[in-house]
Amino acid sequence: MNQLKRLARDPLLLVLIIVILAALGVFVVYPLVKVILTSFQTRSGELTLENYQLFLNRRLYQNALKNSLLVGAVVALISVALGYVLAFVTTRLRTPGGGALHMVTMLPIISPPFVSAVSILFLFGFNGLITRGLLNLTDFSIYGFGGVVLSQVFTFTPIAYLSLRGVLQSINPTLEDAALNVGASKWQAFRRVTLPLSLPGIASALLIVFIESLADFGNPLVLAGATFPMLAPQAYLEITGSFNLPRGAALAAVLLIPSLTAFAIQRYWISRRQYVTVTGKPTASTSKLVSGPVKVLLVGISWLFGLLVAAFYLVILIGAFTRVWGFDYTLTLQHFRYVFDVGFESVKDTLVVAAFVTPLSGLLGMMIAFLVVRRRFPGRRLMEFTSILNFAVPGTVVGIGYILAFNGPPIILTGTLAILVAAFVFRYMSVGIQNGIAVLNQVDPSIEEAAQNLGADSVTTFRKVTLPLIAPAFFSALVYAFVRAMTAISAAIFLVSANWNLMTVQILNQVGSGRLGVAAAFSVVLILIVVVFMGVLNLVMSRWTRHSGSVRF
Amino acid sequence: MRRFAAALLSLALLGGALAQSVTVYTSVDEENAANLFAAFTRDTGIEVNFVFLSSGPALSRIEAEANRPQADVWFGAPSENHVLAAERGLTQPFDNPNADALADNFKDANGAWYGIYTNPLAIGVRTDTLESRGVPVPTSWADLTDEAYRGLLQMPSPQSSGTGYAVVMTLIELMGEEAAFEYLEALHPTVQTYTQSGTAPSGALAVGETAMALQFTPGFLKLADEGFPVQVVFPSEGVGYEVAAASIIKGANNQEEAEALIEWITSAAGQQELVTNKTYFLPVRADVSAGEGIPTLDSIELVSYDPAVAAERRQELVDRWLEQVLGQ
Repeated sequence: MNQLKRLARDPLLLVLIIVILAALGVFVVYPLVKVILTSFQTRSGELTLENYQLFLNRRLYQNALKNSLLVGAVVALISVALGYVLAFVTTRLRTPGGGALHMVTMLPIISPPFVSAVSILFLFGFNGLITRGLLNLTDFSIYGFGGVVLSQVFTFTPIAYLSLRGVLQSINPTLEDAALNVGASKWQAFRRVTLPLSLPGIASALLIVFIESLADFGNPLVLAGATFPMLAPQAYLEITGSFNLPRGAALAAVLLIPSLTAFAIQRYWISRRQYVTVTGKPTASTSKLVSGPVKVLLVGISWLFGLLVAAFYLVILIGAFTRVWGFDYTLTLQHFRYVFDVGFESVKDTLVVAAFVTPLSGLLGMMIAFLVVRRRFPGRRLMEFTSILNFAVPGTVVGIGYILAFNGPPIILTGTLAILVAAFVFRYMSVGIQNGIAVLNQVDPSIEEAAQNLGADSVTTFRKVTLPLIAPAFFSALVYAFVRAMTAISAAIFLVSANWNLMTVQILNQVGSGRLGVAAAFSVVLILIVVVFMGVLNLVMSRWTRHSGSVRF
Repeated sequence: MRRFAAALLSLALLGGALAQSVTVYTSVDEENAANLFAAFTRDTGIEVNFVFLSSGPALSRIEAEANRPQADVWFGAPSENHVLAAERGLTQPFDNPNADALADNFKDANGAWYGIYTNPLAIGVRTDTLESRGVPVPTSWADLTDEAYRGLLQMPSPQSSGTGYAVVMTLIELMGEEAAFEYLEALHPTVQTYTQSGTAPSGALAVGETAMALQFTPGFLKLADEGFPVQVVFPSEGVGYEVAAASIIKGANNQEEAEALIEWITSAAGQQELVTNKTYFLPVRADVSAGEGIPTLDSIELVSYDPAVAAERRQELVDRWLEQVLGQ
């Protein structure tokens, strides 16, 4: 009641809260409800369970479910193990080229989808440079389990790496030193001190990668092959190929269960068990935990991954500038001519979409973070939960939900710019919100109060105190939103139209019709745009705030 | 640029009053359409204004404009779309003096539409790859299930591609439904991956990602012509095919010119332009050769199926394929 009374005294705040809650209801909750409702209907709209019975009596869907879960689990294990090694090497070991390793490891995050799938075909395919050219294998097939896992490990290891890097940085190395001083062996110190302290972070990274792997449909679409059906691409094919929305919705809903479970565990169980042992700035963090040979091994593994990433990008570059990969390596600009003649509209459209999505998701994200942390109102927890919900929902589900929800009255948005912008904003602002909440929680409100006591009004306080403090979170939200707006495909594929098409979808189409050179050229253009944007933003940011170091990739 | 185009257009419309012209919705891709229409203008002096619309949007546009037609001819798109347009009363039949030169499956009995080119299904084979493996080039559907070809074929998925579905329909026509699905099951180990689009297999063939590919012929013929070691095989039992057609829209403003265009494209001279302009589409007239090294239609065993039945049974047959073949 108290909360309500206070709100009534601040009508602007009240309106803001109502508008945001309404928007979350329309663009997050409503599409999800639509997916679930539709999955219980026949094509003509009657209630039925038949879409779910498919899982009971159709081997295809049982296999798809099994395969997707298996791939998700294996990819999560490998990516997190690799990510941990990489994070350990870049944060704890002083090795030459550590900075370069960090940069290379991060590269897949800004890459368009299919880069890894296409590179894998070029390197390990039937006519692959390595499998055919180097090893002269004639019966090797990359299609199926192995190909999908390889491709997803490449795509998702950077995500595991990033979150584990934060975890390792927050463990004070003096604890390890203390263990060593009291006579523990290096292995004991790692097993008894470092590992237990990083366990919550590891579990959290495992679940995040698992969710991402389940939702990913680009890599399986190209690499799953004839005998390894998977859930996310099958949902996509049901809708685009067979025009069977209810069945696609049911496949999507099944995808939702493990994802949401993993999300709930990660958020409400593990995050409470995160340990922070840093008091003040970390001291010198070179670890004494590893002996010479172990160090060589860890650094070796890390650089192997780094080289793989570099090789994948080199392959794309070569593919973009030569006539036909594996057949005719004559240098040419024909693929780029195609991009700028035929595909230029989609380059323009993508930039327009990103230009809307980036500031909108940044601002909305900061606003929600501010409200959640600094204001007390009914529905606060609801706002926090729904605003990050779409992040846990597989993109395929979001896309299907949006066409179901916005293809008829009362809200018709299909075929417009708005539907793409809304899908991206409400899906990718969550990172900004989480960062914003973390930062604001660390800033004591008394700092703001002090400013007000010294005579600053609330606008000045916000501008001079709060804003600079949350600026790093804001900028990293901008970077994230922009990168995802440029590279995301799983939701967007359902929402593009003749008027608004995206580069990622163009890349999918080119891969789909076998014009791999053009796909590579599109990828190169896209990566360039992202790199230029990040450079410009970093420049602006370092002018604007001295906290730039914390946002830089 | 846009203003320039508008100026050009109004000039063309002005000119239309003086010179003869015809307005066309083309479902043939822009590049090939432009070449063919230029040849038509050269031969007849009739100007062509055209807009590219793929078959679905073209049909709905023609339907929407039925009261006040904005175009004279619908050029291209598979014949089943023209069947539909005729059923809905959107097009009008006419007597084409070239009708006798077209086989029955390349024209409507009432003259509502006429075939303008055709593309049979075929297997494209990388001869260099098969040679290095010491495997002979297959000649029939039956050959393909041989252990020697395991994992060497890419074909479009019937679930997402009309081409893939045409393969299923062809086999049903050839073998009957039960045997066709048994065959598709037996073919499954030969398939490396089912592609999403109908033209992806030829792309994979170019980069050597697959040794054999199954789709409509233009992609293969183009590769062979560009010097790739690709051989086009028509399975001896028979293959299905698509027929692209043209029809005159009811209430056309330029009836005479519209008839002239369809007469021209179905004439020997017009069909020859398909070859001259390297469209890689096969002529519908038996008396026009598709070009050197490419067999004429009468040398291919063709299989036809009823497009109406194909459309009606699509979900059911795709479901059966998903469960019996993909889910095995």
